Amino acid sequence: MIDPNNGRFTNVKKRYRLKLSKGFMQHTNIFESYHIGEGTFDEMYQGKDVRTAYQGIFNFLKSNSPEDLTMKEELSKRLFMSQGITFTVYSSGEGIEKIFPFDIIPRIITADEWDFVERGIRQRLKALNLFLKDIYSHQFILKDGIVPTDIIYSCPHFIREMHGLKVPHDIYVHISGIDIIRGGDGTFYVLEDNLRTPSGVSYMIENREITKRIFPDVLRRNSVRSVTQYPTLLHKNLKSLSPRQVANPTVVLLTPGMFNSAYFEHTTLARLMGIELVEGRDLVVENHKVFMKTTYGLQQVDVIYRRVDDDFLDPLVFNKESVLGVAGIMSAYRKGNVAIVNAVGNGVADDKAIYTFVPDMIKYYLNEEPILSNVPTYHCADPEQLEHVFNNITSMVIKKTNGSGGYDMLMGNSATEKEIEDYKKAVIKEPRQFIAQPIISLSTTPCYINGKLTPRRVDLRPFALFGPEGIEIVPGGLTRVALKEGSMVVNSSQGGGSKDTWVLA
Amino acid sequence: MLSRVADSLFWMARYMERSDGILRMLKVNYNSSQDNLSDFSWQPVLKVFTYLEGPAIIELANESSEVLRYMILDKENGNSVQNIVIHARENARSVQDNVTIEVWQCLNDFYHLIRDERHINSLAQGDAISVIDVMVKQCLVYYGTVDITMSRGSGYCFMSLGKFLERALQSIDILDVKLGSMSAEDTQAYDTLYWKYLLMSVSGYKLYLKNYQSGFEARNVVHQIVLNTHFPRSVIYSLDHLHRNFEQLSAYLDKASFDELNFEIGKLRSKVRYSTLNDIEAMGLHTYLADIKKDLSDISSKLNQYCFAYS
Repeated sequence: MIDPNNGRFTNVKKRYRLKLSKGFMQHTNIFESYHIGEGTFDEMYQGKDVRTAYQGIFNFLKSNSPEDLTMKEELSKRLFMSQGITFTVYSSGEGIEKIFPFDIIPRIITADEWDFVERGIRQRLKALNLFLKDIYSHQFILKDGIVPTDIIYSCPHFIREMHGLKVPHDIYVHISGIDIIRGGDGTFYVLEDNLRTPSGVSYMIENREITKRIFPDVLRRNSVRSVTQYPTLLHKNLKSLSPRQVANPTVVLLTPGMFNSAYFEHTTLARLMGIELVEGRDLVVENHKVFMKTTYGLQQVDVIYRRVDDDFLDPLVFNKESVLGVAGIMSAYRKGNVAIVNAVGNGVADDKAIYTFVPDMIKYYLNEEPILSNVPTYHCADPEQLEHVFNNITSMVIKKTNGSGGYDMLMGNSATEKEIEDYKKAVIKEPRQFIAQPIISLSTTPCYINGKLTPRRVDLRPFALFGPEGIEIVPGGLTRVALKEGSMVVNSSQGGGSKDTWVLA
Repeated sequence: MLSRVADSLFWMARYMERSDGILRMLKVNYNSSQDNLSDFSWQPVLKVFTYLEGPAIIELANESSEVLRYMILDKENGNSVQNIVIHARENARSVQDNVTIEVWQCLNDFYHLIRDERHINSLAQGDAISVIDVMVKQCLVYYGTVDITMSRGSGYCFMSLGKFLERALQSIDILDVKLGSMSAEDTQAYDTLYWKYLLMSVSGYKLYLKNYQSGFEARNVVHQIVLNTHFPRSVIYSLDHLHRNFEQLSAYLDKASFDELNFEIGKLRSKVRYSTLNDIEAMGLHTYLADIKKDLSDISSKLNQYCFAYS
């Protein structure tokens, strides 16, 4: 493999050498306790050697004392707090501002690795989008027996109302966040396709802003590719979907409101794109058109980037109790008077039970071999596979097909016997609701924890934008990290944090 | 602009104006309470700026540091500065895309600052004035940030409406509670310090000394607070700016609503502008102020109905 960074860091090294000669010995201790787990791919170390991509940051860390690094860590916390990059936890009637934990050490991806991941995501997304179009129209893939029909019709996210509905440019998955992990040998796997309302992109942007503040000049010296273009690309795509041919279509971002934990992200994206942030109560449907209530009267809305789930979107069609959505919005959508982003009903393609068929979809629709592999997955609905799962339960993770957030899953290696027995009962009761995967030992990267560098497990969520002109992926993404020692669960609700993600040029 | 956004901007500005007003007023009154004026009492302040009732007010009337704690930091007091700042920030938070990032961060900083538990101790045992000063400064940062970073569109106008409406109401309240119920003979009985502190609590002492050379007279104080167009906290100054900012909104509101509100605001502005001290005395200060207050609250509810209705 040609190393794109070969030679690039020599200047950096020279520059630091003067400082290093003084500080080197006393500062090396932050690396002392860095022990890589057996059978685990570490992103910084290859054996005892630091990988080329990490050399720049490694030297930088060496030239800083633990006190400096601790100060940088505190600065990052302060910046998140004062910029309001927080979510509110309500307890005993009073809101407490929390920050999503941030680790100051960046996660680095080389140009070659990124190229591979990017090609893999493009291919996968193309197939998934074709799948959605097919499922909601002719259903060739079911008729040809590639995907079993019952798995579609038993999926709670299959939305009948979408059948035969023509979406602009045949795009369903405008924004996706496909989760990628690395196994013990460094192979990339797709863990999950998030095709509904993936969140976290604001952290991709804000983490980078924080890195600029805490590591001055370091980004430039390491030739890190920029992520700031994301909102501009997204805005361009959103505008291009307008059903009305007008110069400046009205694009809005629909949020569930400020009590939502991703509210910060909604405000950030609306601000960066210069579009209106609306709540359900700001919108009204009249004559199958969507309007927003302005001081001037009603103004027609053309494109809605919604961060409200399908279930809550329209009380006339879905959940009757919902006050987060807009009554009648689905009828406006069906008539083609408003574009909704992402399309409704995408959940049928990112359901964990359908995940196993994605490699087949790629072959079926594109006649290509999948670039990115799936994690081997067993369907609990299939008795033979279920037996295999139960026999090897201690090396398996069992998940609910429509679960998310790292809840309701069983990690076979760390569960107690009682937990396993209870979980087995739940699986036997409703096997369609569960899948199982061998536990993949996620790759580790260094984290700065209590004054030491410590390996912690990470995944990667790049954000892909699918517009009329094709698929664009901003070089970067959200690296989620399991901050608890030994933990494999990176979800923020389970003690996960995030890192800035550098894709090198 | 979304009606909900206009509503939030209007209230954000109102709350910020209110917290600034309350803090300044508290600072002066606290100062005055330390002068050991025989007739100093927190009663009027508590009556205007809190929801407390008779017995509770009497109980607190001479407990300076407890009054400060209650009015600045008490979580149960809906009108405490802390709660007002929380409201201002919540409003800003829901319209972050319509204020500049600097304005949002300023309010966010204020929020974190005022929730700092250490203030409770500082107010009670340290120097209360320093605590208040830090907060007043944060208000000043807010005003400066709004002035320098916000574009002069409809959002700015709605914020200005909130700010000047609130300011007019505050000046009316402060004047009314200190002077409204007094007869002309009563007013003679007060010594210089009383007037000095009244003027200082609306930041108008310096201007008074310059403009009214004849010493302290109730008439002059009323003139300054109601009719002096150069005094930025006077009723007429606030109404002038309320009207001016409303006129900027003509392009953003439908014509019928704009015309009706413009008429109401213009009428009130003229009513005050063409009042003389003699008119006010003839009518009685309290009646006069109550009348303006009623008009202001009508304007406020019409704004609500025509510009902010969304749910």
